[in-house]
Amino acid sequence: MEELAIRAQGLTRNFAAVRALDDLTLDVPAGSVFGFLGPNGAGKTTTIRLLLGLIEPTSGSAEVLGFDTRTQGAEIRARTGALLEHSGLYERLSAEDNLRFYGRVAHMPKAELDQRIQELLTHLGLWDRRKEAVVKWSRGMKQKLAIARPLLHRPGLVFLDEPTAGLDPVAAASLRDDLAALAKRWGATIFLTTHNMAEAEKLCSIVAVIRQGKLLAVGSPAELRARGGGQRTEISGRGFSDAMLANLRQQAGVSQAFVEGGQLILVLKNGGGDAQGVAPLVSLIVREGGEVQEIRSAQGSLEEVFLSMMGEDA
Amino acid sequence: MSADFATVLWKEWKEIVLERSTSGSGSYRPLILLVVLGIFVPFRMGPERFFTAAGLLVPTFFSAIVITAVIADSFAGERERHTLETLLASRLSDRAILFGKIAAAIAYGWLISAACILVGAITVNVANWHGRILMFHDAASWLILLIGPPLLGGVVATAGVLVSLRSATVRGAQQTLGVALAVVVLGTVFGSNSLPTEWKTWFARILLTWSQIDLALAAAGVLLAIDLVLLLAGMARFQRSKLVLD
Repeated sequence: MEELAIRAQGLTRNFAAVRALDDLTLDVPAGSVFGFLGPNGAGKTTTIRLLLGLIEPTSGSAEVLGFDTRTQGAEIRARTGALLEHSGLYERLSAEDNLRFYGRVAHMPKAELDQRIQELLTHLGLWDRRKEAVVKWSRGMKQKLAIARPLLHRPGLVFLDEPTAGLDPVAAASLRDDLAALAKRWGATIFLTTHNMAEAEKLCSIVAVIRQGKLLAVGSPAELRARGGGQRTEISGRGFSDAMLANLRQQAGVSQAFVEGGQLILVLKNGGGDAQGVAPLVSLIVREGGEVQEIRSAQGSLEEVFLSMMGEDA
Repeated sequence: MSADFATVLWKEWKEIVLERSTSGSGSYRPLILLVVLGIFVPFRMGPERFFTAAGLLVPTFFSAIVITAVIADSFAGERERHTLETLLASRLSDRAILFGKIAAAIAYGWLISAACILVGAITVNVANWHGRILMFHDAASWLILLIGPPLLGGVVATAGVLVSLRSATVRGAQQTLGVALAVVVLGTVFGSNSLPTEWKTWFARILLTWSQIDLALAAAGVLLAIDLVLLLAGMARFQRSKLVLD
């Protein structure tokens, strides 16, 4: 039987009249990089808080590393690392002192802590500036340090809540590379929330999609792409008017229609990518005055699948 | 627990020192206090008044006031700077976090008080040098010197942590604490005037008939009781689930 790092059963959390998490049932295999995808306000942060035993569920239950989140929160927090919504760095302290504090919190022996701080800061290119107060650093450097913090004591499970949020594309890509390298080298379970599909596709072996507290789908990125349809049809031609795009979006099999680089892109719902599904749409384009030169069919990206799910559920 | 307490104390102490050594006007405040309470006031008091139990009340009281700024920052500052949730998501126990923060604030006040008294003793000796070192000579003075700052500081720190736990901002916590302190001081001054005559007589008799050491021990007992009550209230108010969602 597959070993699980997280097992949630019907996890539900209400805040007054608002249901932030609705009957979440989820298994996260040990050693996986698990992507928890959803738009802002979907319930991702609430899920992490529940799994860390920081708040109690209204109903349902969850086990993290074999510990009950309701009654054994302290045990869970002792065995996990977490980068939450904010970096959690003490900006008056130096980078080294920030890591030293959390290393001491994790009861790491001094020699091991010294070695680990050097290893992580060197890997992230921060070693030379370890004595500087963090307040003087760029956002990208702070975020790298924030990621090093929960990895410091090599926990069995790491929660990363939108680790690249707010970073410029170059810094985000660099951070993703660092994270992928660290995860591969050391093999812990990583529970990563994001609304960046490229990030999920690059890092995650399994992804789950959540919206308004409800789980919509779980699987590998490839499975989700296949399951969600996400069939992408690219049409080269001319005369793709706004009115035509609006009309196409109204069609039953179309989840998205937009013009990109002079091409009309149609993202089609389940099973709509075959000739029978595309033919009526091509007829419509021609009727509306468009000129079709070439039609290509391709597998959609995870982002398109995600957007398609968001559209279907709305 | 003791290792976690020491870890929180270490972090808090670093933050207190760094905040005061890097924040412009903040770095001068302890120095100003040292000049006023360590040089100016002792010089004016002279050895007869400085080296008494009553002479120690001034630095003890002001060192307790200094704690308000530190303790207001304890939880409200973490909340304001978005570090509180990460701290709560760590393995640290509720008690280690709470006691570590309170202890750091008390230690800071105690250090200020000790520095003021030490500089004051040097000032008085230099200004009144007659070939021998002048020092505190009665048991009550030494008792106040050793346990006065932590006990009075403890009252301010434990009351302050109650405020800081609920306050959204450091400024808000400082204002609430400032008002509370003013109410206590003014209430004591004006309240003592409006006490029934029998009560006043009773208090006067105690002050006149009890020895200084008995008075110091009684005051220490009262402060310790207040410390414990406020500490228990702080422990009851410290709830991770509420702090995370505040």
